[in-house]
Amino acid sequence: MIAIKIENLTKIYRRRHLGKLYKTVGVKNLNLEIQEGEIFGLLGLNGSGKTTTIKLILGLLFPTEGKISIFGKLLPDRIVLNLVGYLPEIPYFHKFLTAKEVLRFYCNLSGVDKSIQEKTIDEVLNIVNLFNDSNKRISEYSKGMMQRLAIAQSLLHNPPILIFDELVSGLDPLGIREMRNFVLNLKEKGKTVFFSSHLISEVEKVCDRVGILHKGSLLKIVEQKDWQNKNLEEIFIETINTVQ
Amino acid sequence: MKKILSIAVYTLRQNIRNRIYYILVFFATVLIFVYFLLSVLGGEESLRIILDFGLTTIEFFALLLVIFSGVSLILEEIESKTVYLVLVRPIPKWYYIIGRYFGLVLSTYIGMIIMYLIHCAVLFCKGWSFDINYLYSVISSFMKIAIIGSLAVFFSLFSTSSASSLVFTFFLWLLGHFTSEIKFLIKKAGAPLLKILLEIFYFIIPNLQYFNWRDFLGSGLAPSWLLIAFLYGASYCLIFLILSIILFNKKEF
Repeated sequence: MIAIKIENLTKIYRRRHLGKLYKTVGVKNLNLEIQEGEIFGLLGLNGSGKTTTIKLILGLLFPTEGKISIFGKLLPDRIVLNLVGYLPEIPYFHKFLTAKEVLRFYCNLSGVDKSIQEKTIDEVLNIVNLFNDSNKRISEYSKGMMQRLAIAQSLLHNPPILIFDELVSGLDPLGIREMRNFVLNLKEKGKTVFFSSHLISEVEKVCDRVGILHKGSLLKIVEQKDWQNKNLEEIFIETINTVQ
Repeated sequence: MKKILSIAVYTLRQNIRNRIYYILVFFATVLIFVYFLLSVLGGEESLRIILDFGLTTIEFFALLLVIFSGVSLILEEIESKTVYLVLVRPIPKWYYIIGRYFGLVLSTYIGMIIMYLIHCAVLFCKGWSFDINYLYSVISSFMKIAIIGSLAVFFSLFSTSSASSLVFTFFLWLLGHFTSEIKFLIKKAGAPLLKILLEIFYFIIPNLQYFNWRDFLGSGLAPSWLLIAFLYGASYCLIFLILSIILFNKKEF
């Protein structure tokens, strides 16, 4: 089954300054199908449209043209968002709250049943290895701990699709390895993972397929078998160079 | 409803743990005690000094609380991108605005109640006997805060910086106390265009004079006036919250 289907998606940012209208292309005629249970990586340089694509899927941006559907349900549909867990690029939580308080809040918003909330919170805290620090205020957290808490909140409602924007951004080598194993574990559980990154080495270690995005256009979709014969970095650079 | 409540409780917790909250409540309390000391200068009217200055101070500090928390409440969450994690949940977007607003107003009310209790204690120490008008003036101040809260939420969505939304909200609060002067200006204005502009302005700014019950203490103003003021306040809040929801629904993140 198709988990996420994107058809002819275009996003043009319009900005008015001193009476003049400026247009910037976020993404252009994007067509993409992500199968249930696969790990799909969106690879691109900074400003290539990765975050725009993710925000369009989540309804944080409105498309200029095109359609997006999740498990066959056309967006915008706020109820469908229950099928998605999201990790933002730079997660930030209110520093005066504790991890448990934050997770309880997101549990309530995601409609997690009150009777299983505490159990669910403990489970996700254990998954991200944050259980022992769960009663600390977030102001005491390191960047890596914030990232883990952000992952924990995305798992609370047990969504079948997980969307991660720059999953390993700013993490140390140990943290990156931890995240890699975590994504592979999600795949074992049958989850669909869609994530963006500009780190080729990470993408090739976990993804089943990779989409190369450049200046808002999806240039190529590469399958795992392709980069087993040829380095993904080479494929990426070759693809980007064809349009430079 | 539970989800709105959850956002309100989250906001309440967030505000109450903010250091500014404690500082403002603490300073207001200190000032109430200062009035207690200054009241000896008032001779026979010493009670009046504590009563009037106390009520004004509490309202002013509550105003600072609601403005400072209100303007940064949504704007900061948008800037820090924390709002993303709420908006990707399966809830209508307007829940966020309403929840944030209730949390903001509730946290200010808690601070106000603490200040009023201390104020009452000081008054009782001076031999004051409870007057129902005190309660009316408290309710009036609560309504004023609800109005300013709705304006703070609106401006935090409307403008792009905390400073500008703070100035806008404070400006409207200030003008809200001069509505009769604006009405006088309308009468005196010669040019029809200026007259229309002033009329529009008159209807936009909140008429906070409806809520200055403490100015009428002992003047025999009927309590039924409170109901009229409440209806006006509730309608004003509702309009600005609806406008905030419209703005928020159109906003891209």
